[in-house]
Amino acid sequence: MDLSINGPKEFITLYIGNFELPLVTQTTITLIITTVALIILSLVVYKNVKKRPGGFQVIVEKLVTMLYDMVEETMGRHNLKFAPFIGTLFVSSFFGSILGMTGVLRSSTADLSVTMAWALVTTGLVWYHSIKAKGFGGWLKGFTEPIVVMTPMNIVSEIAQPLSMAFRHFGNMVGGSVLTALIYGALSAVTNIVFGWLPEAVLSVFPPIFQAGIPAILSIYFDVFSGFVQAFIFCLLTMVYVGTACPPPEESEQLPDAAEPSTESGD
Amino acid sequence: MEFAVKFLDGFESFVGVNFWTMIFAWCNLLILYILMKKFLFGPIKGMIDKRQSEVDEMYTSAEEAERRAHELEAEYTERLSTAKEESEEIVRAAQRRAQLRSEEIIKEAEADADRIKERAGEEIELERIRAVNEIKDEVSEMAISIAEAVIERDISEEEHRSLIDSFIDQMGDEK
Repeated sequence: MDLSINGPKEFITLYIGNFELPLVTQTTITLIITTVALIILSLVVYKNVKKRPGGFQVIVEKLVTMLYDMVEETMGRHNLKFAPFIGTLFVSSFFGSILGMTGVLRSSTADLSVTMAWALVTTGLVWYHSIKAKGFGGWLKGFTEPIVVMTPMNIVSEIAQPLSMAFRHFGNMVGGSVLTALIYGALSAVTNIVFGWLPEAVLSVFPPIFQAGIPAILSIYFDVFSGFVQAFIFCLLTMVYVGTACPPPEESEQLPDAAEPSTESGD
Repeated sequence: MEFAVKFLDGFESFVGVNFWTMIFAWCNLLILYILMKKFLFGPIKGMIDKRQSEVDEMYTSAEEAERRAHELEAEYTERLSTAKEESEEIVRAAQRRAQLRSEEIIKEAEADADRIKERAGEEIELERIRAVNEIKDEVSEMAISIAEAVIERDISEEEHRSLIDSFIDQMGDEK
């Protein structure tokens, strides 16, 4: 029995001197499939959008309404312009996660590169809007609040924010896949033990019947449920961080500390 | 400088960040964001908002129509009641006028009747006087002829006439 837990498969790698650049990996393929599938879905919806919606459009509209309501609730009405981005992030994450169910593909969110890239987008948005609101000096000064002694802590929490987001998402998804792989191995071992008395030739083609059923339920938990929850958490954190960096226009003057909790809760 | 593209079957590190994959993830996210905003979130949200505003508009116009209907109802009710009053007024006026007219007509008729009666009385009086005169004449002539026959005496006619006239006058006065 061989059980190995690996990172994403490398398919095509570019070597320039000692520098190696993996051009195509399992993750990039999953990302491409996610993007193409979602674009096709969007175009299908776009082509069929009617004033009197059919069943499918009703569901899409319900989801879009929920998204906008959630963004309005979390970030405020003035930040509704972020809703399409949050929605894109959510569907990218969720589809990327459940594609791992196929067994052939690997969840794109089970690659730290992807979750790190998304977390850095959130941090970039937070920094961009903080600097835009308070100016570069004001943003730097924000690190010394509430007292100067806190400066190193604030800097650490600022750095910890994208790291924690990326590792949380990555860890949850990859943990699920590791557990699934372990259980598959364990179940094949059970098969070998129970049917070990069969001749070698029969055993080699014997279906690992214990692998049917139990992993499906686990897959629903680890890929669908966990994928949904992690996508939701990732989007919620993005909304909270970006939302605190973009306070309502009239309150931005009165509440200079409004962006502060984002640095505190980054871990 | 060595340069090579290899197709291989290796694995990336389990916990590692591949910068190329990150760039790829960013590009995918950007493309998805732009396209989904244009083809999914934009149109769907626009449609929802449009429908919402349409429904709001419908409700507003329905309320407006209801309000107008109530106004019209009140107006027509008022108009109906004034019309009824007016018609009653007209009927009353007509009745009054008719009453006045009938009274007038009766009065006129009475006046006419009085005048006719008066004239008839006058005529009767005249007739009577004429008849009396005629009777007087006849009586006087009869008396004369009777007297002539009785007394066989020829006296002048003038004397007779004055004699009889005085007699008849006495008679007429006695009547």
